[in-house]
Amino acid sequence: MRKETRIQLFFRYLELIFYKTYADLRAETERTYLGFMWWIFEPIMYMTIFYVMFGILLGHRTDDYVPFLLVGLTIWQWFKSCLSHASETILGAHFLMQHVNLPKIIFPIILILTDTVKFLFIFTLLLVFLWLRGYQINEYYWALPVLFFVQLLLIIACSLILAAIVPFLPDLRFVVENVLTAVFFMSGVFLDVSKLPHVLDFHKQLYYLNPMVNLIEDFRNVLMYNRAPDWQALAIISIFSLLGIWFGKYLIQKFEYVYPKVMP
Amino acid sequence: MTTEIASHQEVPQKHELIMSLKNVGLSYRRKRGVFGEEFWALKDVSFDLYQGDTLGIIGRNGVGKSTLLRLMAGIMQPSHGQLINTGYQASLLSLQLGFIYYLSGRENAILSGMFMGLRKREILKRMDSIIEFAELGDFIDQPIATYSSGMLARLGFSVAFQVDPDVLLIDEILGVGDAEFYQKSTKVMQEKIHSNKTIVFVSHHAALIQQLCNRVVWIENGVSRMAGDTRTVLAEYHKFLHLESAA
Repeated sequence: MRKETRIQLFFRYLELIFYKTYADLRAETERTYLGFMWWIFEPIMYMTIFYVMFGILLGHRTDDYVPFLLVGLTIWQWFKSCLSHASETILGAHFLMQHVNLPKIIFPIILILTDTVKFLFIFTLLLVFLWLRGYQINEYYWALPVLFFVQLLLIIACSLILAAIVPFLPDLRFVVENVLTAVFFMSGVFLDVSKLPHVLDFHKQLYYLNPMVNLIEDFRNVLMYNRAPDWQALAIISIFSLLGIWFGKYLIQKFEYVYPKVMP
Repeated sequence: MTTEIASHQEVPQKHELIMSLKNVGLSYRRKRGVFGEEFWALKDVSFDLYQGDTLGIIGRNGVGKSTLLRLMAGIMQPSHGQLINTGYQASLLSLQLGFIYYLSGRENAILSGMFMGLRKREILKRMDSIIEFAELGDFIDQPIATYSSGMLARLGFSVAFQVDPDVLLIDEILGVGDAEFYQKSTKVMQEKIHSNKTIVFVSHHAALIQQLCNRVVWIENGVSRMAGDTRTVLAEYHKFLHLESAA
């Protein structure tokens, strides 16, 4: 058994990534009585809270504020859970790294996959909710896979870079959580900043520099307003994300043999 | 296949060279942060590993033996010196690696085997012998959370034993489990070591090394003090230990 070729290695790691993703998802369902039903119940509970809060108590029952909010929250939640979980993956794989030589990049990728599978469940629920509220499948739905793909690129880029740095600066985890909360408020989940009065054009431009603002708006355009997404913005996000992925991959590979030496 | 060739060198080179270490050193940072001081787990280690060798690495606790195995497994890289692997796969024998508490024995066997370098189909092919050797029977499809510690140890060993790298690196462990399984697992492990496989076996038990290995490297304080045939090196090692305890 001589050393494997690069292609053999690639497929072996790919198989490992998929099996570990399956294993993690299954372990999560095995931990509770209701199992994978929680992937449905939990977002329903979460969405119900917002529905009661804004739709009933604050009187947005008739306008489109609740769907507006839920689309934003769902899309944001995917981004947020991947980033905050992925940042710990390489650090968390310390024990494994001490025993086998694996490319460390697979740890954040496994996490992104598991969180993305869970997101797809939640997104399906969101679609059902929107259809029940009278929003219909429109001709721009075909853009949804593109939106998913662009956001996935953005998620991979941010996750890889975070996962690469956090083992050296574990303190960063606390910063990440708070920065994510800050970005959450600046991502237009609650309100459409561009529609507010008295907003300077310059501030509006700054606001749109946040890729999540664009993505959330694009999802709303497609799902609620029968409008095409902003292709130009998506292209720019993709380019920067690809650069970010390259950089994150570069960092992780550079420190490939340093991570096993870092204290957990 | 082993033809004796008269050699003038210290080590008779009857087999292919697998790994060669030349003045290898490895440092960690002891503390976190930019100013963490460096700690040299290994300072100057040199020896060669040949095909079919059972190489023992002896030394007292905390002299860098385990770190040396990690270097040989390709998990870490030397901070200075040279480690040449001529193209073989070396892996550590790791028990229960990557086990997930809530999954069944079967799923854990697949996962653990994959972490250690097997393809899924290879593990599935060997699943029957894993189950049989681990004496798990129908328990294999129960979550390992329900296993006794003995069952878990048996499963861990049976899976790890299926992994068959070119060079097997063993850190102290030969057998696991209760008395009966300990004997059984030690027996198969010794059979493996006595076969033509290339093995590196780390221990501080001179008796075990003497029994199992044909060549020995003695590590003291991160430095390889001596490498050669078992009898010579162990004799020097014992002499050193006596001097140490006398001092």
